[in-house]
Amino acid sequence: MAAIIRLSSVCRAGVKPLFYQSTLLARPAVVLHKEHLQPHWLTARIHSSQPLYAGSDSKASLHWTAERVLSIALLALGPVAYFSPGPVIDYSLAAALTLHGHWGIGQVLTDYVHGDTKIKMANAGLFLLSTVTFAGLCYFNYNDVGICKAVALLWSK
Amino acid sequence: MALLLRTLGRQGVCLSRPHYRVLYSHAAPMGTTAKEEMNKFWAKNSRLNRPMSPHITVYKWSIPMMMSITHRGTGLGLSGAISAFAMAALVLPGSYTHYLDLIHSLSVGPLLIGLAKFGIAFPLSYHTYNGIRHLYWDLGKGFKIPEVYRTGYTVIGLSAITSIALALM
Repeated sequence: MAAIIRLSSVCRAGVKPLFYQSTLLARPAVVLHKEHLQPHWLTARIHSSQPLYAGSDSKASLHWTAERVLSIALLALGPVAYFSPGPVIDYSLAAALTLHGHWGIGQVLTDYVHGDTKIKMANAGLFLLSTVTFAGLCYFNYNDVGICKAVALLWSK
Repeated sequence: MALLLRTLGRQGVCLSRPHYRVLYSHAAPMGTTAKEEMNKFWAKNSRLNRPMSPHITVYKWSIPMMMSITHRGTGLGLSGAISAFAMAALVLPGSYTHYLDLIHSLSVGPLLIGLAKFGIAFPLSYHTYNGIRHLYWDLGKGFKIPEVYRTGYTVIGLSAITSIALALM
């Protein structure tokens, strides 16, 4: 009933006057009291605040961008490692590879692991794995031939 | 009301712009976040021990689907190999060259060596080329179905050529 009244007033006087009626402003805050005033079958339940507030600076959005930047950096490291191998590239590769893998596996876990505790456990395990991986690669770079040389030696056989 | 909203949605009307807000003026914002809703879904369905509806077992596999899961598979495989290498470096006593010489002394034939090199080169090439394809998508390009297939076949072709070339080096 309320819906019919409002639509007809839109048709009659156009949209602009409705802006001055405060009851028609979509309020993003949760107003639990108001839900009782309108029968629920007349109410469309929507996530109204998301498109209004998700700017480009949310944590998730920045993470997404960082993932792409890292991917491009890793792509660039390939040819650089081939043409000028050395300790700087070795450590850069160690960092970039580990982080790219860490974030990648993180997305896989987000897709397939459900339930708050399971998610927390899986992410903790991943963090441990990535830490050990980075430590191992740095150890290899420092105490052994290093990543670039290792690949070259492996391929020479 | 819902019908009106759906019709508008189908025509690509952006409902979040101010002059459309009057249409869901009596809409009540959800009291829960999307994450909470997802958790509720999984909690309820696993509590009731409901079986998962068949999806990948009944849906016809397509090239884009296979390429997508291969991208994930190669990524996991490569990451696993790197982690295994790193842990071996920490745990094993000898040096890298020591273990390389060990493998040398096995005198594995050139065919098997080539195969092993291909086994390393293919996941790396495929994941790299398909990764570039993903970045292309992130720019918002190449979503039309023929383009998806064209870029897909290009990735497969380039991966095969690159891996074979690397295996022969």
